[in-house]
Amino acid sequence: MITNEEIALATHCLAFALENGASGVRITLSKSLMNLVGMLNGEVDKTAHALDKSLQLQLFVNGRFGTFSSNRLEKDELESFILQAIDTVKMLEEDKFRSLPDPSRLAKDAVTGQELGLWDATAESITSARRKELAISSSFWARKAEAEKGFTLIAEEGEYSDSIFDSVTMDSQGLFARHTETSFEIGYEATVQDSEGNHYSNYWWDAAPFLKDLQLESCAQKACLRAAQAISPVSIDSCRTNLIVDSECAGKLVTPLLNALGGFAVQQKNSFLADKLGKKLFPDSLSIIDLPRVPGETGCRLFDSEGVATRELPVIENGVVKTFFINTYIGHKMGVEPTIEDATRVKLMPFGGCSTQEELLQKMIDGILVTGFNGGNSNAATGNFSYGIEGFLIRGGRKVHPVREMLITGDFISLWNNLVATANDARPCLSKLIPTLAFKDVSFSA
Amino acid sequence: MIQSKQYYLDIFKVDVPLLETFVAEGLRSGGSYCDLYFENTSYGSLLLRDGAVTSGGSHIDYGVGVRVLSGEKTGYAYSESTLKEDILACARAAAGIADAPSEVNPYGTRNPSRGEPNPAADRYPVLQNWREVPMAGFLPFLQSLDADVHAKDTRIRKVIVNLAFSVSDILMYNSARELKYETRPMGSVSVSAVFEQNGAVENKSTSRSFRCGAEMLTPALAQEMAAEVVKGIDQRFEAKRPEGGRMSVVMGAGASGILLHEAMGHAFEADFNRKGTSIFSDKMGCRICPEGINILDDGTLQSNRGAINFDDEGIPGQKTYMVEDGILTSYLHDRISAAHYGVKPTGNGRRESFRYAPLPRMRATYMESGTAKADDLISSVKKGIFVDEFSNGQVQIGEGDFTFYVKSGYMIENGRLTMPVKDINIIGNGPEALADIRGVADDLAVDPGAWTCGKEQSVPVSCGIPTVLIGNLTVGGAQ
Repeated sequence: MITNEEIALATHCLAFALENGASGVRITLSKSLMNLVGMLNGEVDKTAHALDKSLQLQLFVNGRFGTFSSNRLEKDELESFILQAIDTVKMLEEDKFRSLPDPSRLAKDAVTGQELGLWDATAESITSARRKELAISSSFWARKAEAEKGFTLIAEEGEYSDSIFDSVTMDSQGLFARHTETSFEIGYEATVQDSEGNHYSNYWWDAAPFLKDLQLESCAQKACLRAAQAISPVSIDSCRTNLIVDSECAGKLVTPLLNALGGFAVQQKNSFLADKLGKKLFPDSLSIIDLPRVPGETGCRLFDSEGVATRELPVIENGVVKTFFINTYIGHKMGVEPTIEDATRVKLMPFGGCSTQEELLQKMIDGILVTGFNGGNSNAATGNFSYGIEGFLIRGGRKVHPVREMLITGDFISLWNNLVATANDARPCLSKLIPTLAFKDVSFSA
Repeated sequence: MIQSKQYYLDIFKVDVPLLETFVAEGLRSGGSYCDLYFENTSYGSLLLRDGAVTSGGSHIDYGVGVRVLSGEKTGYAYSESTLKEDILACARAAAGIADAPSEVNPYGTRNPSRGEPNPAADRYPVLQNWREVPMAGFLPFLQSLDADVHAKDTRIRKVIVNLAFSVSDILMYNSARELKYETRPMGSVSVSAVFEQNGAVENKSTSRSFRCGAEMLTPALAQEMAAEVVKGIDQRFEAKRPEGGRMSVVMGAGASGILLHEAMGHAFEADFNRKGTSIFSDKMGCRICPEGINILDDGTLQSNRGAINFDDEGIPGQKTYMVEDGILTSYLHDRISAAHYGVKPTGNGRRESFRYAPLPRMRATYMESGTAKADDLISSVKKGIFVDEFSNGQVQIGEGDFTFYVKSGYMIENGRLTMPVKDINIIGNGPEALADIRGVADDLAVDPGAWTCGKEQSVPVSCGIPTVLIGNLTVGGAQ
C-alpha cells in the first residue's frame, strides 16, 4: 500500500532533518484504507470511505527531543515543516536521557511487513457492491420473528468494515521495519422491548485478519439474544460473593495491571506495583505472558514504536511480577535495562481444568457472572477500583436472573489473590487473550 | 475567531464555483443533500516532567469530508488532499448511498432554530493566536505552574504539567449554497501531582480548557490550578471506602454536571431517539423531573470548551432547553434527526474532525439554579454521601443506567459531612434519578475542566450543575 515513492520521501525527510541540525531521527510513515457499511433495521444506513496517511517525526536535536506529525506529504511542505520542527525542539529544555535505542535491540526481521501473516490479499479487491452484500447478509432483522418470544426487537444497528493498514518505521541508525495487516470487523447493537415497554440493549462483535474467519452471520442474532437475556432484571442485596467475568470483558481487569507495570507510571511513582518487580504478589496459578510474535494472530507485531524487536516475555509468572515495560528513555531515567515499550499480545494462562464458561459456572456453583462493565475506574497509585457491572445471578451453576445497577469494589492486589479458576475460552479477536475468570469473595454493592 | 472568506478559500485552494462542482458531484446519484467540511488544524503540545519541559511537538491535520444524504441515510468519504480530482473522488464515493429517491430533505428544515440564535456571534475571540507564539513563549507558564505546585506541599514527589492547544480553520459549504467559515481555538492545561505520606501514595489532578488564545496562560491561572491540585489532599490520605449500597447523594456544584451528561444528555441526543433505542424515545412532552427544574445544552457560553458559533453542519450555536419546569421539551438535533421529527435543528450536529460525519452531540450541558441552599441540602440528609470530584462516566442508552466515578467526597451522617471517601463508582437509572431529585441549590457552576465526550467520536464539551440532592443512588463500597 505504501509506495516506493512514499518510502523514498520518508528517507529524504530523514536525511533532510539530519542535514539541518538533528542528531537523531526516527520516522514512521503510516497509511490506512477503511471502508464501512452501516446497517439500520435491515437496510443500508450509511457508507464511509477513509484513506489516511501521515508521517511522524521524532527528532533528537542538541540533547533535546520532540514529536511531530503531518498528513500533508508534499515534499516542499514537509521540508518547511521539518525546519520549523527542529527550531521548536531547540526551544525545549535539554534532556540527557533521550536517545535512539541501542541498535542491537532493533528489529531486523520486519522487512516486507507481511512476516506475521496478517495480510488478506482479498481486502484490496472487495467492491462496494460486495461490501453491501456482506453487510446486508449479516443482518438479523428480516428473521427477527424467529427470536421474538416475549420481546420485540425494536432496533438493530450494525457495521461491517474492512481495513488495510501499512506502516514503515525507519531511523538514522539504519532501522527499517514494516508492518502490514488487514482487518475485517462486524459489530451489532440490538435494542429489545419487553411487554411493559422497557428497553434493553446489548452488542456483539467479531474481528479477524482474514475475511473467511469473520463470524459474519451470527453477530446480529447474538446481539439480539444478549439484549433479550437482560429482560426482567432483579435487584439483589449488597453482598460478598463469587465473581465470574466473561471472556468478552475480562480484559478490563487485566489492563490496570499492565498499566501499573508501565515504565512511565513506575518512574512517576504513580503505580501500585512501582516497587514490586521480582516480588510474589499473586497466587502460583496466575501467569501472564506476552506473546507478540504468533503468526496470524490479531495484534501481534515484530517491533514496538521505537523499532525495538518484540519477544516473548513473562509478565507475571507463577504469581511473581517479572516485567516492567521500559522503553529506552525510561530505562535511562531509571538506570535500568529497557525491555519493551508496552505489552503487545498478553495471554493469561488458563488453569483449574475448565474448558468452557459453563463448566466454570458449575465449579463456582454460586455468584454473579459479569457480562459487561458499565463505567467505573481505578486509582493508579493505590490499585483501588470500583466498576458498574451487568450480568447474571448464578445459583447452582446456572444463570437464574439478569442483575442490574450493581457495582464491584476493591483493590487489584486483593482481587487477583482471590482468582480461583479460569475457563479456556479467550476470544482470539481481542488484543488480550483473557479467558473467563472466577474470583472468590468480591464485594458487590446494589 | 473569524478571518476573511478569502483566507479560508486560499488555505483549501478552492473557490465557490469549485465548491458547487463538488456538491453537484455528490448529488449526481440522487442524493437529497450534500455538504463539504474543510479543516486545517494545527496542534501543539508541551510536557513538563521531573521539573523540565523536555517533550513537545506539533501536528498538522488537513483535509475535507464530503457527506451525501439520501433521506436519513448517510454516505461519507474524506480526503487528506484538497486537489480537485481527490475531492471529486470523495464526492462520488459518498454519492453511492443514494440508490433510491429521498423522501426527506434535511435542507428543508435548515431554518435557524429556537432561541433566536445569533448567526454572527463570535464566541471565541482571540487576543494571542497560539500559532503566532513560539514554543519557548509557553515555557515560563509551565515552569511557574510546576514551581507553584511544589511550593504548596512538601509531600509532593512528582508533578506533570501538560499544555495542549489547537487552532482549526474550518470552511463549510452545502447544497443549500450556504458558506460558513471560522477559526476555532482551544487551549487546555492539566497538572497532576503524586504525593507521598508515610509510605502511602496518592495522586491528584486538575485541568482547565477554553476556546480562546494563549492569553489564558496567566500567573493567576497557574496559582489557581496549583491551589486546586493540592486542595483536599489531607482528606484524600484519610479517605476510606464507604459501606456500599443505596443512599442519598448530594452532588456538589460544578463537575457534578457529569450526572446530567450521562443520565440524560446522551439519552436526549435525537439519533438515539430516532432509532428508538433511547429510554426517553417516547417521553417528549412528559414530566421527567420535579417542577421547577430546567436543564439545557448551551453552545453560547463565551470561550467555553463547548461553545460554538455554529455547529459542524452550519447551524448557529444556541441554547437548547431540553427540560423546562420538569417537562421534556426538546431533543438535541442534527439536520437528519430534525428532519425526521419535523423540527428545526438545534445546532448540535458536531464531529471530531473532517474524518467523521456529524452526529447529535452535547455542547455545555447544565441545570439552572434552584432556590435551596447547598448547606440546607446537606443538612437534610441523615445518611448519604457528598461528592465533588469526578473522573469519568458512562451510560447505557437503552436501559438508561448511568455511572460516574467519584475521586473524592464525604460521608454525610445526620446532616454533617464526616469521613472523606474516594475511588467509588456510583450507578443509577436516568429516568429514576431525574424523578428523584429532592432539591436544587442556587449555586450553579459550569466546570472549566477539559471534558471530552466519546460517543463514537471525541468532541470537547463541558458540564455544570448547582448543588443537587438525589434521594437514592447505588454507591460502590465495601461490604
